[in-house]
Amino acid sequence: MKIKNIATFTLAFGVALSALQFSAPAQADPFTNAEDAVKYRQSALSLVRANFAHMSGMVRGEIEYDAEAFQERANALKHLSHIPFDAFSGAGYNVTENSDALPAIWENWDDFSEKAEAFKSAAYELATAAESENMRTIRPRFMATARTCQQCHEGYRAD
Amino acid sequence: MVIKLWDGFIRGFHWLLVLALIGLWFTGGNLDYIEVFGVFIEFIDVHHKLGLFVLALVLTRIIWGIIGSQPGRFSSFVRGPKAILMYLRNPFQKEHLTHNPGGAIVVLVMLGLLLAQAITGLFTDDAIYFRGPLASTVSDTTVRALTSYHKQAFDYLLIVIALHIVAILVYALMRKNLVGPMITGKKQVSNEASSIPKQIHGGFGFLILAVNLVWIYWWLG
Repeated sequence: MKIKNIATFTLAFGVALSALQFSAPAQADPFTNAEDAVKYRQSALSLVRANFAHMSGMVRGEIEYDAEAFQERANALKHLSHIPFDAFSGAGYNVTENSDALPAIWENWDDFSEKAEAFKSAAYELATAAESENMRTIRPRFMATARTCQQCHEGYRAD
Repeated sequence: MVIKLWDGFIRGFHWLLVLALIGLWFTGGNLDYIEVFGVFIEFIDVHHKLGLFVLALVLTRIIWGIIGSQPGRFSSFVRGPKAILMYLRNPFQKEHLTHNPGGAIVVLVMLGLLLAQAITGLFTDDAIYFRGPLASTVSDTTVRALTSYHKQAFDYLLIVIALHIVAILVYALMRKNLVGPMITGKKQVSNEASSIPKQIHGGFGFLILAVNLVWIYWWLG
């Protein structure tokens, strides 16, 4: 009888403990704290912006179109497109202090994620379009990507 | 008696402004484009160019409000607080040849908002694709603040425009046609020969507009 009780208790304790462990950030969390996460996503988005700006110049015709440089930027953007969003999703990273992120992000998480996904796929399609080395093919994909930035900034980024 | 009220420039200014504002409304923050005969026209560039056009229009209107035809001069309709209070107490007591003292405030607010809108637009940055021609001349904080203002202030402009249209409808209900004179320039007034306002040919206004367009597009285009 007693032994059975101990066994039950141990089992229950074990289950509870493992449940606790899984509910804590089980994913390997790369950030030391929320501030660190904010810095990370800001850095990532500033890289997105810089790469995008270089391509903008070529799309607008302000700088001469250089297929190789454009491809490099488009590839960079494609890889970068994944980077910022880990630092929004982790528990406790819904921080808006020293950040342009609006609380609406975490209040409408599904919508925000959808918009993040739209940006990622647009960036992928842009990188593919860049291979054509033809501005007529690139332009629609480039502007579509710009609009995914805008659609997410609208409502989720402080003015 | 029918008199000439609004000269050609005032009328041209008014309706060009209406068209420009509709275009600006449609193209503001619009990252789309169309292709016309193989040329790509980006809406945000159209917005930029139309904004410069409005800047030239408003600056010219302000100059014309000082040196232009009498009915359009600020001195003909801008009144002090006393006259404004008297007007508000009994808005329809007196017939006004041009803007009444209340309408004069709306004119000034409208011109002020338009000027602010056109000037702040020069300092905007959408953080994605568009950067105003003067954004690099000020700090990032200033650019952020002015961009934010530029987005928000359009609503203020819409409120003033709504007020303007409501006032016209109210006058229309009282069988007073304010739109007609802004199209033909002519206004029916009760017989008082003394009230014929001095006119300057509107062509001079358009000449000033042309000069303003040249330096504005050259500098900020």
